[in-house]
Amino acid sequence: MAGLRTPSEDPEGAERRRDAQGQRAARCGRPARCGEQRVEQRGCAGVRGGASSSTGLGGALSQRFAFPGGNASYCWCNSVAGGNFEDVTPEKVIRFNPPLYKQRYQFVRDLVDRHEPKKVADLGCGDTKLLKLLKIYPCIQLLVGVDINEEKLHSNGHYLSPYLGEFVKPRDRDLTVTLYHGSVVERDSRLLGFDLITCIELIEHLDSDDLARFPEVVFGYLSPAMIVISTPNAEFNPLFPTVTLRDADHKFEWSRMEFQTWASQVADRYNYHVEFTGVGTPPAGSEHVGYCTQIGVFRKNSGKLAEPSVSQQPDQHVYKAVYTTSYPSLQQEKVLKFVLVGELLIQVDRLRLRHQRMLREQEKEQDPKAGGMDFSPAPHLLLGAVFTEAEKARIENSPKPFCEGEKFCIPLQRLLAYPKLHRLCADEERMRCLIADSVCLSSDGSAVVVDLHNSWDYRPEDN
Amino acid sequence: MSGRARVRARGSTPGHGARAVGNAPGDITVSVFLSLSHVYEVGISSGDGGHTFKETQGKDRQDFIDLGVCTREKLAHVKDCKTGSSGIPVRLVTNLFSLDLPQDWQLYQYHATYSPELASRRLRIALLYNHSILLDKAKAFDGTSLFLSEKLDQKVTELTCETQRGETIKITLTLTSELLSNSPVCIQFFSVIFRKIFKKLNMYQIGRNFYKPSEPVEIPQHKLSLWPGFAISVSYFESRLLFNADVSYKVLRNETVLEFMTDLCFRTGMSGFTEACQKQLVGLVVLTRYNNKTYRIDDIDWSVKPTHAFQKRGGSVVTYVDYYKQQYDITLSDLNQPVLVSLLKRKRTDHAEPQMVHLIPELCFLTGLTSQATSDFHLMKAVAEATRLSPMGRQQQLARLVDDMQRNQVARLELETWGLHFGSQISLNGRVVPSEKILLQDYTCQPASAADWSKDMRACKVLSSQPLNRWLIVCCNRAEDLMEAFLSCLRRVGSGMGFSVGYPKIIKVDETPAAFLRAIQLHVDPDVQLVMCILPSNQKNYYDSIKKYLSADCPVPSQCVLTRTLNKQGMMMSVATKIAMQMTCKLGGELWAVEIPLKSLMVVGIAICRDALNRDVAVVGFVASINSRITRWFSRCVLQKSAADIADCLKVCMTGALNKWYKSNHDLPARIVAYRYGVGDGQLKAVLEYEVPQLLSSVTECGSDARTSRLSLVVVRKRCLLRFFTETGRAVRNPPLGTVVDSEATRPEWYDFYLVNQLATRGTVSPIHYNVIYDDNALKPDHMQRLTFKLCHLYYNWPGIVSVPAPCQYAHKLTFLVAQSIHKEPSLELANNLFYL
Repeated sequence: MAGLRTPSEDPEGAERRRDAQGQRAARCGRPARCGEQRVEQRGCAGVRGGASSSTGLGGALSQRFAFPGGNASYCWCNSVAGGNFEDVTPEKVIRFNPPLYKQRYQFVRDLVDRHEPKKVADLGCGDTKLLKLLKIYPCIQLLVGVDINEEKLHSNGHYLSPYLGEFVKPRDRDLTVTLYHGSVVERDSRLLGFDLITCIELIEHLDSDDLARFPEVVFGYLSPAMIVISTPNAEFNPLFPTVTLRDADHKFEWSRMEFQTWASQVADRYNYHVEFTGVGTPPAGSEHVGYCTQIGVFRKNSGKLAEPSVSQQPDQHVYKAVYTTSYPSLQQEKVLKFVLVGELLIQVDRLRLRHQRMLREQEKEQDPKAGGMDFSPAPHLLLGAVFTEAEKARIENSPKPFCEGEKFCIPLQRLLAYPKLHRLCADEERMRCLIADSVCLSSDGSAVVVDLHNSWDYRPEDN
Repeated sequence: MSGRARVRARGSTPGHGARAVGNAPGDITVSVFLSLSHVYEVGISSGDGGHTFKETQGKDRQDFIDLGVCTREKLAHVKDCKTGSSGIPVRLVTNLFSLDLPQDWQLYQYHATYSPELASRRLRIALLYNHSILLDKAKAFDGTSLFLSEKLDQKVTELTCETQRGETIKITLTLTSELLSNSPVCIQFFSVIFRKIFKKLNMYQIGRNFYKPSEPVEIPQHKLSLWPGFAISVSYFESRLLFNADVSYKVLRNETVLEFMTDLCFRTGMSGFTEACQKQLVGLVVLTRYNNKTYRIDDIDWSVKPTHAFQKRGGSVVTYVDYYKQQYDITLSDLNQPVLVSLLKRKRTDHAEPQMVHLIPELCFLTGLTSQATSDFHLMKAVAEATRLSPMGRQQQLARLVDDMQRNQVARLELETWGLHFGSQISLNGRVVPSEKILLQDYTCQPASAADWSKDMRACKVLSSQPLNRWLIVCCNRAEDLMEAFLSCLRRVGSGMGFSVGYPKIIKVDETPAAFLRAIQLHVDPDVQLVMCILPSNQKNYYDSIKKYLSADCPVPSQCVLTRTLNKQGMMMSVATKIAMQMTCKLGGELWAVEIPLKSLMVVGIAICRDALNRDVAVVGFVASINSRITRWFSRCVLQKSAADIADCLKVCMTGALNKWYKSNHDLPARIVAYRYGVGDGQLKAVLEYEVPQLLSSVTECGSDARTSRLSLVVVRKRCLLRFFTETGRAVRNPPLGTVVDSEATRPEWYDFYLVNQLATRGTVSPIHYNVIYDDNALKPDHMQRLTFKLCHLYYNWPGIVSVPAPCQYAHKLTFLVAQSIHKEPSLELANNLFYL
């Protein structure tokens, strides 16, 4: 049955074809973010194992993963994908490993890792692949994509929704993802005050008018702490079989000199400093052409001092919000409560079982003939939390769980000593408030009370 | 077979982590995840064990296969009309919605070929989609088959297009079929469209259903979250295409597999730990934290740790720890955990070797419930309470869904493109069949409510009973006083019912399962009529060892009672009444009857389930009535080694039942109506082709020229998405007991009907689907429906109506006991008693 999918091309193709994809380029976006393929879960019946398409398997799947995370490498190889060039004996085509687009994204990810921005926008986000990679970072709290192609935003939006697992183990901090339909040369106040704005393979799609307005909007108006701009390096093009622009929609492709001149002027005018680098290292012998993709990283000189000006800007909403989603996080009381109660009950149950076992062992000591069960852990299987010395000391110094008849009581102070719970809630009073309607507390509210024995306790002799 | 052995047997090449595991013992417990789209039958449970009912749900969409089994065309008497007419008409609202299509709507299927041939499916799709001829058309293409809602001008269309590299590609589209909206392909196609729409509504697909994790129902004390959602299907009902949606909940455990394992380790100790893990986890479905995929756990590989390296596709080698850090920014905290092994089913190329995936327990969440959890009464009760929705609540959820669908622009557009119009909720006419009178020994009562006539029959004598004179009570010292109190109560209640209970021999034992068994072995002799055990706890091994011994090794009826049950304040009388009734049946007594106008009718119930310890064994229960009043039963249970849930012992069982009938009636029954319970999706054809002939051949061989019994087989299905409500003003309620639906919501290719015979005070009732697949009796639909309704009154374990015909419920109870506790065929000496109640 047909998976209803959007047009797409061979995912692992050469950079050449990849960049040649965006046929219907619009003014300011990159319609197809050259070659990065949306991995669509096919809409067909009952895929339980899930993985139906050829890439993007979630598990660490033997022999199936592409990029080794290493740096740019490339290989000369015989052209294959899709067929044969006429009357040319197997031709040499440059392939990058990992593919160039992935290297560009990796570059952005490394930046995010290093600088931990809170608010990130991707201009010309296309099919939102970069956003999808960025949403996993705990530091990011607002993630925005802007593109001129509304259809694309519509059809890719739901890929940015939280994973199912994120409802069970939520993030620490809030995250909102929003996709706007609009042009990067329009001013929208909702993009003010960002820490990082990325323009990956964007500027070469701008005609000269838009290119002229681009710095004034992005650098002058939006004025984020950091801007990343990537664009093809024209000096690399002779290494490709046919020497034209890499994409039919490219209005220009700059040499390193051209890009650096433009970038330095922009940086100067708007009080940024810029560093140049790139991804896609040239093959041996051609090092002089430089990276296949050139990248400028702009950082604001004044740092964060300029921020107060943000609030003075009048609200200006010209973009149309196409999609927005909020992630569950521990900052939301309801979520925190849910996670805290969950973790707490796991800990309580562990302590209860440990206590039970202790009682069993005591019994056995008194009655030697009943013995025979071996509880000493085998050394090769050490599951569960391993505490640091400091944590151990904190746990040991906290009040101990105790029994009152058939009831087992665990002081909240004790529970707070466990790192997993401490991380969620450090204060006893707050903990009491959060858990009060979900668990049974002792009359003075200082301890959690549970039955020492459950009818469903699993006992080894049951089998 | 261990999980690993099974992995190998399926022909996979284990990849990097494939070192032989020295020892991975333990049976595979296949416990399929649970979808709670139905009301739990918590009400009906025996005094004995307190096991709760568990139902599993198949995963593959196989109902289409069943719909292809056109049984009605062979049944001459219902070919033109299968509807009944008796009863009071009732207007019912359903959870069906019309899907309107233009009158002449068709779907056109084209086959696409490329010249030169293109290996990449993506490239093929891209080229075709970008071609101007298809630009504004509604289309769906999987790389080979193209579906269009508008026909192209020519039967064969040749297109030329150019790749980015200037190659010229010729695409030939050949019309292969014009599909009407009721064709199976078309219906599957609609399902795909709806799946797409549900994703747009921010719902997540898990299995076949769609869920909203953003609005969870939480049960913290059991570490569970329930995600609300919908089970949906699009299919062709009696006269038109309908969309069916029912509220469904997905159970999710709020702990990772690692936490689960650690917990298990605390419980079991180290000695049986790996075995217990294997047993509890294999077969469960996990959800990974870093994507939306679910995997079935096929094995646990204890030899691989997160610090081990694996080879990625590019050829580079990376450890799991580094991989998850790089790829997902996730830091693994436990470097000693093993990995879970899952085999991926390949859909496209079935012959390919299954792919093996390693999953890190710390990053996986358990969905569904483990077998341990489903046997936890408190947990199941909490789940049932959280998911129980009144008809009103259900209707509100449906209204919200429809509203969402109509408001969502993208969803609306998707339907419009294909010419589909999502219409109104369907109402239809049902009928309420008259209620039944309950016949007791010297009294006939018209119960106030058919759901429970225990009050109506208070102080009434049951139809017949055997006096109980020689019997044993085994109990532990602690429970002695309680037992005495209970005994006197039992004797008092018994005499009221006309069931004479003599004074038993009392044996006091230690509080261990072994002591109970030893006492029974010591004191049970052929004279003993019944053994009662007062159990100190509901630990399964007490019950299992007793039942096993007394059902198979030394066949004597037995009655287990929990001390806890007797301890309930003020409940002694009702507990004693219930137990007295069970004991009467176990000794071969009859409790009550209903009027059966057909004389010489045998009813049969057949149920199949899997043995809990050995999933390769199917347990077949066969229960047949042996008198015209339908109050006495012949029960057999056969274990068979087979992969499919299709019985192959029916001939033996049927012949046994016919002989028994002949012995007590000196003739053969004129009619036999058999109800088959537990038919999975996609198995209808097998039932028709393998089970019906077995029954027929027995009937023919036993019969003579003068008299051969006529046979009907009805497939009973409990699990269906369909719901009916009655509307009063603005409120909707459950339909009354005895509501029959035999039009509109039924299928044109079947002789089928729905019957509502459940009463739910808080939840929504689910109608039971009856499909008459073979019918020599040619009873009028009216009669078939009323007979079925009458039979629901005859389950002696509950003084009220049950949701399926009594023979089915008996057969189910029998298979459940054998599959869970006995694991052997019970002795034939017990076949005349309802020993398994």
